[in-house]
Amino acid sequence: MLSPTSLDRSLPLKRHLKQGRYGTVSADGPGVRLSVRHPLAIATIIARKGQEDKMSALLETHYGIAAPQPGRMVKGKELVLQWCGADQYFAITEGRGEGALYEDLRSCLQGSASVSDQSHGRVVIEVSGHKARALLTKGSAVDFHPREFPLEAAAMTQMAHIGVHVTRTAEDSFELSLFRGFSEHFWEWLTEQAQEFGYEVV
Amino acid sequence: MSGHRLSQGGLIDRSAPLKFTFDGKPYQGFRGDTLASAILANGVSLVGRSFKYHRPRGIMTASSAEPNALVELREGARTEPNTRMTMVELYDGLIAKSQNRWPSLNFDIGSINQLASPIFVAGFYYKTFMWPKAFWEKLYEPMIRRAAGLGRATHEPDPDRYEKAYAHCDVLVIGAGPAGLSAAVTAGRAGARVLLADEGPVLGGSLLYENEEIDATSGSDWAQEVVAELVSLRDVTLMPRTTVFGWYDDNIFGAVERVADHKMVPGPHEPRQRYWRILAKRAILATGAEERALVFGGNDRPGVMLASAVRSYVNRYAVSPGRTAIVFTNNASGYRTSRDLRSKGIRVAAVMDSRKDAPKLDSGGAPIVAGAVITRVEGGRDIERVAFERGRGQERLECDFVAMSGGFNPNVHLACHRGAKPEWKEDIQAFSAPRNGSRFVAVGAANGSMLISQCLREGAEAGAQAANEAGFRSKAAPTPLTKDESYNIKPLWWVKEGSSKAFVDFQNDVTAKDILLTVQEGYRHVELTKRYTTLGMATDGGRMSGINGSGIVAEATGKSIAEVGTTTFRPYYTPVSFGVIAGPFKGHHFQPVRQTPLHEWAEENGAVFVETGLWMRSSWFPRKGESDWLESVIREVKATRESVGLCDVSTLGKIDIQGSDAAEFLNRVYCNGWNTLEVGKARYGLMLREDGIVFDDGTTSRLGEDHFFMTTTTANAARVMSHLEFCHQALWPDLDVQYVSVTEQWAQMAVAGPMARRSLQKICENVELNDQTFPYLAAKEIKILGGVTARLFRISFSGEHAYELSVPADYGNMTARALMHAGREFGITPYGVEALSVMRIEKGHVAGGELNGTTTATDLGLERMMSKKKDYIGRMMAQREEMTRKDREMVVGIRPVNQNDRLRAGAHILSKGDAASMENDQGYVSSVAFSPMLGRWVGLALCKRGRERHGEIVQLFDGVYGVHLEAELCDPVHYDKENRKLYA
Repeated sequence: MLSPTSLDRSLPLKRHLKQGRYGTVSADGPGVRLSVRHPLAIATIIARKGQEDKMSALLETHYGIAAPQPGRMVKGKELVLQWCGADQYFAITEGRGEGALYEDLRSCLQGSASVSDQSHGRVVIEVSGHKARALLTKGSAVDFHPREFPLEAAAMTQMAHIGVHVTRTAEDSFELSLFRGFSEHFWEWLTEQAQEFGYEVV
Repeated sequence: MSGHRLSQGGLIDRSAPLKFTFDGKPYQGFRGDTLASAILANGVSLVGRSFKYHRPRGIMTASSAEPNALVELREGARTEPNTRMTMVELYDGLIAKSQNRWPSLNFDIGSINQLASPIFVAGFYYKTFMWPKAFWEKLYEPMIRRAAGLGRATHEPDPDRYEKAYAHCDVLVIGAGPAGLSAAVTAGRAGARVLLADEGPVLGGSLLYENEEIDATSGSDWAQEVVAELVSLRDVTLMPRTTVFGWYDDNIFGAVERVADHKMVPGPHEPRQRYWRILAKRAILATGAEERALVFGGNDRPGVMLASAVRSYVNRYAVSPGRTAIVFTNNASGYRTSRDLRSKGIRVAAVMDSRKDAPKLDSGGAPIVAGAVITRVEGGRDIERVAFERGRGQERLECDFVAMSGGFNPNVHLACHRGAKPEWKEDIQAFSAPRNGSRFVAVGAANGSMLISQCLREGAEAGAQAANEAGFRSKAAPTPLTKDESYNIKPLWWVKEGSSKAFVDFQNDVTAKDILLTVQEGYRHVELTKRYTTLGMATDGGRMSGINGSGIVAEATGKSIAEVGTTTFRPYYTPVSFGVIAGPFKGHHFQPVRQTPLHEWAEENGAVFVETGLWMRSSWFPRKGESDWLESVIREVKATRESVGLCDVSTLGKIDIQGSDAAEFLNRVYCNGWNTLEVGKARYGLMLREDGIVFDDGTTSRLGEDHFFMTTTTANAARVMSHLEFCHQALWPDLDVQYVSVTEQWAQMAVAGPMARRSLQKICENVELNDQTFPYLAAKEIKILGGVTARLFRISFSGEHAYELSVPADYGNMTARALMHAGREFGITPYGVEALSVMRIEKGHVAGGELNGTTTATDLGLERMMSKKKDYIGRMMAQREEMTRKDREMVVGIRPVNQNDRLRAGAHILSKGDAASMENDQGYVSSVAFSPMLGRWVGLALCKRGRERHGEIVQLFDGVYGVHLEAELCDPVHYDKENRKLYA
C-alpha cells in the first residue's frame, strides 16, 4: 500500500469511463466522442494588482506565450494558457511531476501573480465530433457558432447548473473543465444528452 | 352536418392511410391530416362538452387558437388532457377520448347545468362566497368541482425525455407564412444566421390553404420553392413544429419544439419536446392573424366554424365540413370562403353580410343577403337551419354548417409580452402589434397588413433591415406579382337580436349577456371584466374571445374600443407542458450532486450518505449487528474519544488567498485580528455580516507572508466566496489581494483522538510530530506517503488532540486507506457527520443551529473575538442598541433534569411555573445530541440572558412531539471543560 506505485493519481470519473459506443450511432459513426484528459497539471494564475503586464512578459519569457486576451486561449510548446476571468488564467500542461508546474510558475512569475494549484480540483472532458456543438448547445447559453466562438476561444459558462469552463480546441472539438466533485453528475447529464447523436467514449 | 372527404385535392397523402380511434371507435385518415381534419372527414361533428354548461361543441378553427375541440390524447402514462385536435398531427394508432362528459359524449348528464344556467352567470363563483358559509363547503364547491372541468391528468410518471437548449441567431423569424418566408429568405440570402420557427409541421402558413397566386405559381408551390432555397442556405435553420411562446428581456425568446409529438412514441433517445431559449440580435413577428368569431345565438354549436378554418379544411385537407353552408360575415373573408366552397362543388345557401352597404364582392355565384344577421342556429344534433333578420322579421334558411367571419385579429401577443399595448387600427377594426423598435418588428397580417402583396413586401424589407443591422449587406428583392383581394370590414361585436345564448368565450362559457351583467355590476374595466367573468382565461388565452369581449365592453360602457383596449398579454402564447419546463432536471438530476474525493473510501467502509447542500457526505458507518444509526454513532464517538477516528471533511469551503494585502484583507472581513498570525499557524476566524450578525466561521492558516488558506463552513462556501469578491471589487479595489476556490483541489480529513498523532506519524515523511514541532494550531506543508505534498493543521472540532490533513484530491482515497492501515493497531474508526456533530455539541462548539443568521458574536459567547483595535465588516452595526440588548437569546448548554429524558431540537424554553405562551417564551433548543461520554442527552440552546442563568431549572415545551419536561441551563461545554484532551 505504501509503495511508490500507489502514488498513481486516481481518476475521478473512472467508474463511468467505459470505452465503447452508446446511444443512436448512425452508419457514419458516432456524432460525439468523449474522453477525459488525465492526469493534467493545472494552475490558476491571477495577476497581482498593477502587475498584469509584468506577468504577461514573464510568461512570454519563460513559456514563449503571453497571457491571452479575454475570451481566448493560447497554446505554447509546453503550456496552454486559458483566460478564465478578469486577469485570471488557467495554465495547463501534461506529463509534469506532482506540483512541478505550480512551483515553476511561482518561481518564474516572481511575485507578479498569485498561483494556485488546481491539478486535482478540475476534471477536463474532451468533446469532439460533428455533433459536439449541438451537444453543448443543450447546456450552455454561449454561442458556439464559429464566427462567435472561433478556434481557441474560451468562456466561463454553466451547463446543467454546473460551472463549466469551455474552450474550442479544433473546428469540432471542445474542452470542458469543471470542479471534480460535480464530474460524475455532469457526465451522466452529458452522456444522456449525447445519446441521440450516438457517442463514443475513447 | 355531414363532413366528408373530397375526392381530390389537399396536401394529404392518400397513399398513406392512418388508423385512429376516438372514444373507442375506429376511424381512418391520411398522412398530412390533423386529428381535427380526420375526424371531420369521418362525419363526426360533436367532439366535446363545454366547461360550465356541458354544451355540445365541435371544431371551430384549424389553428392553435381552438377553444372547443380539446381531447385526452394517448393512454396510460402518456395521457395528455386538453389537447387541441387542430394541433395534433395524425399518426397511425392514435387514440383520443372526449372529456368533461359523463356517461358519454352524446348523452351527458352534466348538460342539465344548462337548465341551472341562471346560477352560472358572470361572477357566479364569487357570488357563492356571499351565501351561508356551510353552503360553500358542502354544496357549491363540490358541485362546481364536479360540473366544471377539462381533461384529467395521469398520475403515472412521464416516460418520455424532455430537453432544453439554447439557440443564437442574427434574425429570428416567427411564423412561416408569406411574410415570414419572405423575411427569412431575404435575410438568409445576405448570409445572416436566420432561425425560422413555425408552430405547424409544414412551413407555409396561410399559403397552405389560401388560393393565392404568386409570380404565376400557386401560393403553396411558391412556399415550397422558398423553403427549398432556405434549406440550401448554410446558416439558416428551419424549426417547424416550434411555437415561440414568449418574448423576454434582451430579445430572448422562449420556444417549444415538439420533436416527437407527432409520433406514437418518440424514437430511441429522442426527446419528446425541447425547450429553446433563443437569443436573437433581431426578430421579426410574422405570426399572421386569427379570424374573429361572430357572437350570435347558438354560435357555439358543432358545425359553426371560422370562415378561414372552412377554407383550410376544404383546400388543405380536402375535407368539407358539410353539404350546405351558410356564410355569415362582416368582411371579405366570407366571400372568399364561399368561392372556395363553390369551386369544390359544395353548396352555399347564402352569404349573409351584416353590412347593409356591403361592397359588391364575388361570392362565386352564391346568393348574397346584405344587411342580414344570424340570430339563432337551429336543429337537433346537427344544424338544420339558421334564423336570421334583415329587417323583415325573422326568416329561416336551411344549411348544415355555418362559416363565420367577424374580421381578423393580428397575432400580436409576443410583441406585447414586455409591456407594450397593441394599437387600434380603425381601417381593419383590429388591434395591431405595437412598435417595439428595430430589434423586434411586426410584418404582414401581424402588423395589420391584410393584403398578400403587403405581407411579401413588408417581410422582405424587414428581413433586409434586420440583416443589415446584424452586420450584413442586404436589399429586399422586388415584391413578386400577386393578385390582391381588397379587405374591408364593418365591426359587428354581437348580434343583439335573438334571445338564445351567444358565446364570446367558448371554452369558459362566457356569453355576451354575462359581459353586460358584469358591466352593470360595476366591473367596467376590461381587466376586471376578464376576472369577473373568466373571459379569456381558458387554455386559448383569450385568443378567440378577447377582442370581441373588448368590443362588447366598449358598447356597454359607451367608450371606443381603442379606449377600452385589451387585457394584458403574457407568456405563454399557447399552453406549454410542465414536462418541457422541467426538462432533464427532474428526479436525481433536479440539482447537481457533489461527491468528495473520499467518496470511494467512504463507500468501502459502508458509509450511509446524506445530502448536505449539494454534497453527498458520509453520515455514519454502520457495522454488522448494529440496529440503528445511534448505535453506530455512539461507537464512532467512543472510538474517537478513546483512541482515534477518521472523518472526511473535504466539503469545507477552501479559499486560497494571496497578495501583499492578504492579511489586511482578512483583517477587514474577519472580526478578529490577523496581522499577528505567524507563518505556519492557524487561527479560528469569525466573519460578521455588514449588519453585525455572525456570517460564518472557520480556521484560516498562514502558509506564507502573503499566502493564506481559508476554510469556511460547508453550507456557506459559495456565499463566502461571493462576499470576498464583493468586498474586494466594490469596497476595497485598492487592495492587492487574489483569491480562488481550491475546495475541490484538496481532500481533507480530520484525524482525531488520543492516538491521532501516532497514527498520522506513520505516513509522514519529513516531520516528527510532537508538541514542539507541531503544537496546537500549527499549520504546515509536509510530505506523506513517499512524496505527496500535504498540508497538516493541528486543529480540532471534536475537542480531541486532532489534525486536519489536506492532500491533493486524486490522492484522497489512497491517503485515507493508508491512514486506516496505519491506525489499525489503535482500532482507527471512520466517523461521519453525525458523530462529528455529537462531539461538537459535547464541546459546546457552535455550528449551523446557532450560526443561524440571527445571532451576534456576543450571543454565541464569542464577543472576545471582536477586535477593538481595527475596523471590520459588521463592527458599527454590531453596536446597535438592539444588538447589545441584555436580554437577547444567548447560547447556553441544556440538559434534562431526568437523566433518561430525551432532548429535541426546537423545543421552547419556559421559566418554571410559566404557562406555554408566546409571551413567556424564553428561547429554544438549537442543537441536541445523545452524549456517549456522559450517557445522556445534552444540547445547546438560545435562551434569553442565558449566560446569567446557568444552573436554573426551566421547562421545555414541544407541542409537535408533545414533550413537556424539566431541564437545567448550564455551561455549553458539556465534556472536558478544561480542554485537557485538546493538548494531550
